[in-house]
Amino acid sequence: MLEQMPPADAALVTGTPAGHRLDMDGIRVRYGQATAVDDVTLTVPPGEILALLGPSGCGKTTLLRSVAGFIRPEAGRVLVDGRPIDHLPPGGRGVGIVFQSYALFPHMTAAQNVAYGLEARGRPQKEIRQKVEAALAAVRMEAFAERRPRALSGGQQQRVALARALAIEPAILLLDEPFAALDRALRLDLQLEIKRIQRRFGVTAVLVTHDQDEAMSMADRMAVMRGGRVEQVGAPAEVYDNPATPFVAGFVGTSNRLHGRIEAREGAAYRIRLDVGASLVADSPRGFAVGERVLLTARPEQLALRDASDPDPAAFPARLRQSLPLGPALMHDVEAGSTELKLHQPRHGAPPVPGPVRVALLPEARPALFAAGDAA
Amino acid sequence: MGEGAWKLAVPLGLAQFSFFLAPLLLLAATSFATDENFSQFSVQAWLDVLGDSFHLGAVLNTLRLGALAVLATMLLAVPLALLHMVAGPGLKKIILLAAVLPLLTSVVVRTFAWIVILGREGVINTALLSTGIVSSPVALLQTEPGLILALTQIEMPLMLLPLIAALARIDPSLLDASSALGASLFRTLRKVVLPLALPGLLAGATLVFASAATAFISQSVIGGGRLAYLPALVWQQAMVVFNWPLAAAMALTLMGSVLAVAAALSALARGAQA
Amino acid sequence: MTDLSRRTVLGATLGLAGAALLPGRPARAAGSMTAAVYPGGWDEALRAVLSPALKQAHGVDVAYEPLFAVDQIAKARAARGTAPFDVFVLDPGPRVSGIDLGLFEPFDPARLPNRDKLPAGYADTVGAGVAAQVVGIAYNPKKLAKPAGWRDLFKPEYASRLGLTGFGTTFGTISLIEMAKVFGGSESDVEPLFVELRKILPQVAAVAQPAAMAGLFQQGQIDVMYTNTYTVTLLKSRGVDIDFAVPETGAAAFGTTMHIAKGSKNIDAAYQYIDTMISTPVQAALSQAPYFFVPVNTGVTPGADVPVKSLDELKNFVSHDWSKINPLRARWIDRFNREMAK
Repeated sequence: MLEQMPPADAALVTGTPAGHRLDMDGIRVRYGQATAVDDVTLTVPPGEILALLGPSGCGKTTLLRSVAGFIRPEAGRVLVDGRPIDHLPPGGRGVGIVFQSYALFPHMTAAQNVAYGLEARGRPQKEIRQKVEAALAAVRMEAFAERRPRALSGGQQQRVALARALAIEPAILLLDEPFAALDRALRLDLQLEIKRIQRRFGVTAVLVTHDQDEAMSMADRMAVMRGGRVEQVGAPAEVYDNPATPFVAGFVGTSNRLHGRIEAREGAAYRIRLDVGASLVADSPRGFAVGERVLLTARPEQLALRDASDPDPAAFPARLRQSLPLGPALMHDVEAGSTELKLHQPRHGAPPVPGPVRVALLPEARPALFAAGDAA
Repeated sequence: MGEGAWKLAVPLGLAQFSFFLAPLLLLAATSFATDENFSQFSVQAWLDVLGDSFHLGAVLNTLRLGALAVLATMLLAVPLALLHMVAGPGLKKIILLAAVLPLLTSVVVRTFAWIVILGREGVINTALLSTGIVSSPVALLQTEPGLILALTQIEMPLMLLPLIAALARIDPSLLDASSALGASLFRTLRKVVLPLALPGLLAGATLVFASAATAFISQSVIGGGRLAYLPALVWQQAMVVFNWPLAAAMALTLMGSVLAVAAALSALARGAQA
Repeated sequence: MTDLSRRTVLGATLGLAGAALLPGRPARAAGSMTAAVYPGGWDEALRAVLSPALKQAHGVDVAYEPLFAVDQIAKARAARGTAPFDVFVLDPGPRVSGIDLGLFEPFDPARLPNRDKLPAGYADTVGAGVAAQVVGIAYNPKKLAKPAGWRDLFKPEYASRLGLTGFGTTFGTISLIEMAKVFGGSESDVEPLFVELRKILPQVAAVAQPAAMAGLFQQGQIDVMYTNTYTVTLLKSRGVDIDFAVPETGAAAFGTTMHIAKGSKNIDAAYQYIDTMISTPVQAALSQAPYFFVPVNTGVTPGADVPVKSLDELKNFVSHDWSKINPLRARWIDRFNREMAK
């Protein structure tokens, strides 16, 4: 499918409305004994996209459904522009939702689907017609207005679903795994397009996803969830670079995990003796005692291959098992003792020969340091 | 497909012909015959059915009974199926069991049980009299409303099961979507649930119609001798009066009219699906 | 009335209706034969009394095919004159139809060793009488005074509790003819009956299929009907409040006859079957509870509950000429349908 950028000034045409602020304040949801969402407080500033990222069962969908009004939380409040909306039914909350399955009404045309919310609100026919046209045009589906969902591709259905959610001019747009049913090639295009449309409408959005790439590419900020709790909230790059927990380090991007012990304090940093046989220096916002066991996580691109004869004490011995081309980079599959590592390096020249090597932390790299007790 | 693959269909075709089509043709021939050896033919039997106000009335009565049974079962099955859709697993099982249970008892037993319920000294009248709602027994047995009431219970599974199946196929997120878009429960029912359940509803209607219009035992036992329906007339002409041409013509009229209604309903269902 | 008796009677009624719908016929084994039998009470009685007697006397196994009289004729006709059973059991109307249609083997009374026990004329060249039926009025003595005769049924107090059934059965036909006679009609003219029926029709309690009558009576839907003594004694023995009233114009009686089906391959067994049926021990057993047959064997005294004290008494009962009735019956049936229709 041909996905093209619309003219840059398209945003100006619609007259961007002011966004609305969304607060989730101390939300807790329990199913029987299990706590699905445990005291979650998050804020989405006007016009931003917040991604709720986490593995299945982490509570992100439950949280979204609480905001939508499908679930009554046991505790906590949902506020839009500072006003609680907990007492309102889903339809009264000014919330537009794009479902994972799109949930388009199969017996209605695209236009009828988009008109549904406006009709339910009893808007005059003329207004409905105009808004349906505008919404379908915004997602570039005006040519398919009279088609039933079955006659549309997955990507087209998704855009109709988006148009339907936006047609009611919601204060908040909720996106529940909107790309899960699409094939990979289509995803990035649609992610970009949805983000663009969201910006243009200036609508505050919450995106639920288990795909870190999706969260990274779409969200202004992401909240990484696990077991009903938020482990870390921050801009994608910040979360990626400074994971707050080993779980976040593992879930957002790829991390190599190296165990070691604090040898000494060196100013604001620590000297660490790694179990794989290297001594290196890393700083951390967290405090550690000398002799404490720690876990160091390093991104694949923070590590580098060295020659087996390299004398650097900050490098440790390892064995290169294979090297795989990954787009513009080369992915090295390395083992150091029982620890498996992945390394990314720009591809240039012939790939190195498998066999004994040394692995070192790049000088500018800032690995994350955790107390070894923080499992997972 | 290989050449001669049609040969594979020959046994089935022959079976269809000898066990279904041939008897039907024989029935058609009988309706025109004036003697048992098919030596002479006439259209007298057909004139007696289609040109006679009593017989024509019986045809209309039968179709009307089928239609009313469809309406009555629908009225009850739709709320029950909706309840099943939103119910928890326990209640779901109970509703399904209650829906299937009538199928496990013979129609003869069910029909006679309705005599006990609808009779002058039956359950309903006893209850009405003892609570003082009426002062003399209400006529239920041998009335069309009584018969429809009984048929509603007897035919209910045929309506309820396809309906439950149709509702189960509806993606629950459609209901969420409708509610999030601001639709009331009633609007969601009218605009989303019922249109999507329509194929099941029409399938149920076809089954109930065909079954109620031909419910010989219920019609004669509960309906009684003052309500004239085709199945009992066919039986009487064939078995008591030995007027086989008339019986055959009435049987074909019954079959034709039931098929016509069923065809109309299934055409509607196809339209609803498109 | 107890629950048990309710259920028993309901069960018996179900049997009648259910059996009427059963298709097919049992297979014939060597040394065996198949006999048609009325569903319900007759079926029960013959299986319990006649089958063991036949097996003991002649070593013949009998399989029963439960069919009403008209259904037996219909089946034999549908099979192009070759009945799917060896012996018919029929009322007078269907008997005459069977003779007209040539459905019976010629019958030789000399082959019945027990023929001496039958009154004169009970065995002829088409078959033999095996039981008698007496038809009159049945009523609920707890709800209604004993009716004096057919005319009473048209009085409001009876009409509003009356169950009507048409010309489809022998007892129905006979009763309706007797009513017609009261109002000036005859065996070949039932028009006066229809005139009277039209007057009471809005009040009558039920118009039903013959098989449904017992159930309606037992459930209190109707409290008066016309039927045979056999049904009355059977229902009474099961706890139903029911009594038999002999109309002032006399109860009507008719014989139930057995006939050998044309083309039967088991003619010897068929004669043995009919002979055993009229034998003194079988007739005696059938006339007792719970069967209450009216016996035809002169050596048998009817059971205490059977409303006929001796065979001689039967001669005084009203009888009918079915060769006159049969040609008119189809028209009466159709007429009854139309008169009854709302």
